[in-house]
Amino acid sequence: MMPKRAMRWLILVAICASSASAQTIDDGIMMPKRTLSVGVLYAHDSWDHYWEGSLKRTNGNIGTLTTESITWVGGYAITDRLGLIASLPYIRTHASQGVLHDLSGRQDLTLAAKFKLLSTGPGRYGTFSALAEATGAIPTSDYTPDFYPLSIGTAGRRATGHLMMNFHSNSAWFANASAAYMWCANVRLNRNSYYTDGQLYLTNQVVMPNVLDYTLTAGIDRGNWRIPVSLVQQRTLGGGDIRRQDMPFVSNRMDFVKLDGEVMYALPGNLSINLGAAHVLSGRNVGQSTTFTSGLFYAFHL
Amino acid sequence: MRSIYSRSGGWLKMSNRRPLLLGVISVAAALAAGGCDKSIGPFEVLPPLKPSSLEPTAGSWRMILLTGPSQIAVAAPTPVASAAYTAELDAIKASQANLTDAQRQAIAYWSGGGVMRWNQILRELVARYNLPPAPKDEGGYPVPDAENPFGDPAFPFANPVYAARAYSYVSAAQYDALKSAWYWKFQYNRLSPARNDNAVTALMPVTDLPSYPSEEAVISGVTVEMLKSLFPAAVEEVTLKAAEQRNAALWSGKATASDLAAGLALGKSVAAVFLARAGADGMRTAGGSPVLWKALADSATARGEVAWISRDIPARPPMLPLFGQVRAWNMTPADIVAERPPPPPSTGSQQMKDETAEVKQTVEHLTSAQLAIAQKWNDGAGTYSPPGHWNDVALEYVRDSKFSEVRAARVFALLNMAMHDAGVGCWEAKFHYFNPRPSQLDPTIKTEIGLPNFPSYTSGHSTFSAAAASVLSYLFPSGAASFASMRDEAGISRLYGGIHYRSDIEAGKLHGARIAGYTLTFAQSDGAP
Repeated sequence: MMPKRAMRWLILVAICASSASAQTIDDGIMMPKRTLSVGVLYAHDSWDHYWEGSLKRTNGNIGTLTTESITWVGGYAITDRLGLIASLPYIRTHASQGVLHDLSGRQDLTLAAKFKLLSTGPGRYGTFSALAEATGAIPTSDYTPDFYPLSIGTAGRRATGHLMMNFHSNSAWFANASAAYMWCANVRLNRNSYYTDGQLYLTNQVVMPNVLDYTLTAGIDRGNWRIPVSLVQQRTLGGGDIRRQDMPFVSNRMDFVKLDGEVMYALPGNLSINLGAAHVLSGRNVGQSTTFTSGLFYAFHL
Repeated sequence: MRSIYSRSGGWLKMSNRRPLLLGVISVAAALAAGGCDKSIGPFEVLPPLKPSSLEPTAGSWRMILLTGPSQIAVAAPTPVASAAYTAELDAIKASQANLTDAQRQAIAYWSGGGVMRWNQILRELVARYNLPPAPKDEGGYPVPDAENPFGDPAFPFANPVYAARAYSYVSAAQYDALKSAWYWKFQYNRLSPARNDNAVTALMPVTDLPSYPSEEAVISGVTVEMLKSLFPAAVEEVTLKAAEQRNAALWSGKATASDLAAGLALGKSVAAVFLARAGADGMRTAGGSPVLWKALADSATARGEVAWISRDIPARPPMLPLFGQVRAWNMTPADIVAERPPPPPSTGSQQMKDETAEVKQTVEHLTSAQLAIAQKWNDGAGTYSPPGHWNDVALEYVRDSKFSEVRAARVFALLNMAMHDAGVGCWEAKFHYFNPRPSQLDPTIKTEIGLPNFPSYTSGHSTFSAAAASVLSYLFPSGAASFASMRDEAGISRLYGGIHYRSDIEAGKLHGARIAGYTLTFAQSDGAP
């Protein structure tokens, strides 16, 4: 049972690392001590509608915006209660219409430490656990944050504090609730002036708003299968709206509510695969994206 | 974090774990080192302006539109010995006894110099209004309407040539108004309140410059009238700013109520002269019509050339195709035609194929340094535009030179008249040749910055930049090498961005320098030492 659980944990981390917010871990599972896991995840994200502020629209000069990513993930459990994770995505963006150039590159290295705070049980109904995670992200290439919606990321350093509660019933179902707060460092542009949020800034530095995320998950965990469904809300704590017919800007207030479903299956041996789909239900200054993910993971026991 | 806890009652029970939790979070914060201090700015700091010269001869410097410095009469002030003037001084002293923090901040802000402050405000307005109309649901695009400036689309669309014209009108009107003010100042020689009464505290640097009429009021009056016409939806904020500028002059002991009243009236009267010109300079009809747009394309086709088409989706009418007919400041319509650059390489020629291939090669192998240059000089939609970029450059030289208000106005007037004329000349050439962009001749060329919606030849940024660099090099010879380097960087940035051929850039730079020559001819004989 342990390898399967270990890989699920890694899959979840990987999915989170490759998403824009990089902080939707929803699982209370820890890998057993001295387990090393590696995996690769492919994600395909696209949208043709987006919210310009609160106005939902299409844009002929974008058509469909597609973002593809391949993320390498590694994790290691130091103890049964403390694990480390690293991930690094390569991302490519493409607009189906208009003249804007694709962008691609190595994005941000994410390092995380996940710690089990407490665990009760198994009790009469199931197991309750609480976890905390600290994450840091740092860009690994000089990609530009000044070409949204084609930029592959914000090109800024971030730190995230994350709290999770997990309940796993003695039968096959489980539920998680989590919240995360992300601190974002200032971002630098190649230009010395920009206009956002009703003001002209005469500097190359952009103050990035911090971000709050909430995730609620429910799912089934039976045999080699695990199927979680999550509702994710991102709230950006500041930033301006995209102005009418303007390009998006790196510090825009990017909010969304997203529905996410995953299917994970443990193959014989130490392999595990996952397929996932997510769709943005509502948003502000983001695309109404539909995301498909697939991943393959392998665990070593040292 | 408190709100998270309160939303999930169960978590409160974990409070004994919080020290550990905070420790984990602080590790993460450390990982992202330096993310805590987010403060940026202040921007373009303007220390209190103490001019290096009083410019006593500025009243005789050559006018742009006014027939002379006394065209608009300013009545003689009441004598300083009069009861009326004493009452004005008492009013200042009463204000100074009860200054609020907000009033002191206003004094500090405006002590940086009125011409430079309004230049900053103008750049902000351009950036705010520099957005093209969104397409209509039923297809096509609405036209910004000066009679409905608060609508969607807002008025104006402060595109590069709208902006060039706006910068030039504001700067030229300020310059003529201040020369006239200087004439009357030295005609009447009434010193500032702080000089006339020791009990009035000078809260801005006070010089021996006569204060009747007040230069602050002149600048506020002329500028706000120009801006109300150019950016009508900003009427409330610019009116408040202008009133604040006059109040700050009063609170600081720099001007009395009658200094301000005389200056305000003079400034508004000068604005009326410039607005009359603006109303008849051809801008209102510069958008053309569908018949004209087709005729431009047909003309290019008849010459055997590939005609420009809009690459916006849906296709957007060309940006102000008749801006080339708008009145220039220092060039006649015949001058504009005479200075038109020679034709670009034919769209069917080998040279054009080679230049198109160079654009493709450049964007497909763009280095980070090249992208940085393309973005630095992008100055596209939503920015203060290429002419605004050069105002940004000029401001630091003006500030560091400690120029008086009238000489600061001269710098911006000469710079912006030259850039307006560059815009007129460039647009005349663009719509005469109606040449396609690189991404039209080779649709596989994708751009690193937004693609402007007007013909390619010549490069507007190159033309603006060469004109600006020429004027600034004349005014600040010590900066000439830097201006030349910026001009070249601005020019080549358009090749890096994938939006211009090399010949657009080279021809634009030559054209801009020639056009600047007309403004320099004016400058060399304007009587300013």
